[in-house]
Amino acid sequence: MKFDTIIMGGGLSGLTCGIALAKKGRRVAIVAGGQNTLHFYSGSMELLGSVDDQDVTHPIEAIAALNENHPYSKIGAQHIASLAQQAQALLADAGIKTTGDASCNHYRITPMGVTKPAWLTLDGLATTSHPDALPWKKVCLVNLEGFIDYPIDFVAHGLRNLGAQVETPTVSLECLKQARRSATEMRATNLAKVFTNTSNVARLADAINTACNDTEAVLIPAVLGYDNDDACNLLKAQVKAPLYFLATLPPAVTGVRINAALKHYFQMLGGRFLMGDSVENVVIDGDKVTHINTTKLQAMSLQAEQYVLATGSFMSRGLVADFERIYEPLMNLDTDAPQDREQWSKYGMMGDQPYMSCGVVTDKDFHPLKDGSPLANVYAIGQVLGGHNPITMGDGTGVSMLTALAVANAINS
Amino acid sequence: MTKTQLASISDHNFEQCLKCSICTVYCPVAAVNPAYPGPKQAGPDGERYRLKDPKFYDEALKMCLNCKRCEVACPSDVRIADLIQQARMKHHSHRPKLRDMMLASTDLVGSLATVVAPVTNFSLGLKPVKAVMDTVMAIDKHRTFPAYASQKFETWFRKNAEKRQNEFAHHVSYFHGCYVNYNFPQLGQDLVTVMNALGYGVHLLEKEKCCGVALIANGMYNQARKQGETNMASMRKSINQQSRPVITTSSTCTFTMRDEYPELLGVNNDGVRNHLSLATRFIFNLVDEGKVKLAFRHDFKMRVAYHTACHMQRMGWAIFSTELLRMIPGLELIELDQNCCGISGTYGFKKENYETSQAIGAKLFSDIDAAKPDFVSTDCETCKWQIEMSTGVKVLNPISILAQALDIEKTRQLNGVN
Ligand code: SF4
Ligand code: SF4
Repeated sequence: MKFDTIIMGGGLSGLTCGIALAKKGRRVAIVAGGQNTLHFYSGSMELLGSVDDQDVTHPIEAIAALNENHPYSKIGAQHIASLAQQAQALLADAGIKTTGDASCNHYRITPMGVTKPAWLTLDGLATTSHPDALPWKKVCLVNLEGFIDYPIDFVAHGLRNLGAQVETPTVSLECLKQARRSATEMRATNLAKVFTNTSNVARLADAINTACNDTEAVLIPAVLGYDNDDACNLLKAQVKAPLYFLATLPPAVTGVRINAALKHYFQMLGGRFLMGDSVENVVIDGDKVTHINTTKLQAMSLQAEQYVLATGSFMSRGLVADFERIYEPLMNLDTDAPQDREQWSKYGMMGDQPYMSCGVVTDKDFHPLKDGSPLANVYAIGQVLGGHNPITMGDGTGVSMLTALAVANAINS
Repeated sequence: MTKTQLASISDHNFEQCLKCSICTVYCPVAAVNPAYPGPKQAGPDGERYRLKDPKFYDEALKMCLNCKRCEVACPSDVRIADLIQQARMKHHSHRPKLRDMMLASTDLVGSLATVVAPVTNFSLGLKPVKAVMDTVMAIDKHRTFPAYASQKFETWFRKNAEKRQNEFAHHVSYFHGCYVNYNFPQLGQDLVTVMNALGYGVHLLEKEKCCGVALIANGMYNQARKQGETNMASMRKSINQQSRPVITTSSTCTFTMRDEYPELLGVNNDGVRNHLSLATRFIFNLVDEGKVKLAFRHDFKMRVAYHTACHMQRMGWAIFSTELLRMIPGLELIELDQNCCGISGTYGFKKENYETSQAIGAKLFSDIDAAKPDFVSTDCETCKWQIEMSTGVKVLNPISILAQALDIEKTRQLNGVN
């Protein structure tokens, strides 16, 4: 089977790249072995959140000072602003409305109740423009009875630290009593399914209106809007006080919605999405990939002019660590991982872990290196790339989307 | 430091679960029926307990459709539905009810019904009969039963097609399945038309039994195993002695015989699996390799919404059907988002499941309404019943669309058929 471009990996970077290519009429196939880490997304995207343990306020300025191995430096600091705009527009075209600006970070509120710098946030989610203050003096933080993925005491504590007076009523609904029959499954995505029913949304609005009087804002965990944001808007219209959503622990409804919207848009543009299939074999001849094989299509090989590696990091198995080494499993590409296993990690699990910034090495055009030389018709994008650190630098989503667009633009021209 | 790494390999990749809960997001049953604990809980989580003590087996596991959507979604390749089915097989003690036996024995009931098709169709449609089925048999009264054809596919084939099949240069065997044989011989006839035009003679297997998917779903594993052995013996003969690969027109039968036989039933399909394929995949491969050519009618126009059936998705083969459909000029293809239709074989026929079944399908039905297609296309026969009943839109197998779109005469010439 022949395509113009084959993308290995169907997460944020793969879908972004696929959409940008399909939009220009290219024949694109995405091979996606299982669902992706978008399911863990809070609903905010980050471009650059932190450098040397300091919050970044103006990402574009800070990007200019990053070292040469960072993917942003390969893109070129001067291109970041326009790619960031292209990314926001692409999300909007797919039906995902966001607010934010690459020149100045705003702050999202994490499911642990602290603020973190963010670049784009899904419309409807609570944000603040300042790390140490909220836009409200008095908020009503609503919890849903039985919901297990929301540590409300942490969140309330965090909001109080930011100077707000916080009430934490719990609403109990008959429709959720049903859902509580499987107590272990009272997760955001399961609740979202209950609220695809508009009368359940109305019941929730009534309960909130009864519980929250005299408040500047109602904050509620993001458990609505599974396929689209209709349920969110409906609830907002029916609740008297201004209402905002707060990110929950994963699987996150916001991430599921972004994933579904991007995939739908990609297919609408004519893209082929091979769901639940995985690349098994990549055949390289000289400095080029000639074809790939997948687990499901077996002998039928897939061919393309370009191949894009968007397989993600360790969790998505784009990178693998065993007792001997850290490696890229499909093509055995060069990585920047230290030889010595002792250097992969450091004391303190929550701290800066070196393995988090390991990944494949590329030239400045994102052609990955194999045995020291670049593969001419292969590009690597997203979290499989080395040289950045989504945890300590808060650059994960930005690297995924911007490297995807930089590569798509290069292929398109 | 010693550098040894033990591979820990468990049944169905059970130990690979990283507890991300993504599978539960995509389970159609957990979405609408809160009494079902969902794939993570019923699969890898529950398995940990069941391994300790079988008393942790939960009867709610029988609500699982075995649709495999959880497995497709799992980023760690845990074979969740296999774990669930295996647990059912091991711990489930009840004897199947008469109703379950009747729904499961598709070929027994089929052969009785075909003989008296007009009477069966008539009486299956009657209100009082439906009421009896509803109360006595617990088959939901809202269901329209698929109609039984008055002439079996096999009978038609022997009378009208069999003789000329030897005249072709290439040959395949066709596993038609119960649905084509008893309910919808037209699809089998379409397959013969298309394959003949490509220069392939079509033959029946020496012995064909129902693939057993309904038996598995209703807990009749021994019977399923027996039928599986018969099918594998016939297919081995076809493949090894007659050099005829086996093709099918049902994604579910194909999936069952390729994957559930060895994984669940322990039926060995070595030597068969790689020669057993869905017709759309078989034809796509021939076209892709330049071995056959297709000529299409110029006046053909159709807007088609393709629905990926659950087992089709698990096999990862939808691309073959959709690419084949995309070859047809004049065909406008819309790929529907992946959602289960809710019927899952015999599941939706049972009264206790009717509501769940329709609720599961709701999203797919509204997407179909919105797409306004002339036809829906899918490779699964039970999806066809469900979608036709629930949306009123006619459903065609891709092979039937191909039969309509091909310029048969020209295609025959292109492939050297006289
Ligand atoms: S999706 Fe897979 S890894 Fe995640 S919880 Fe389910 S079985 Fe475990
Ligand atoms: S096979 Fe289908 S019904 Fe069963 S647990 Fe998996 S997704 Fe749910």
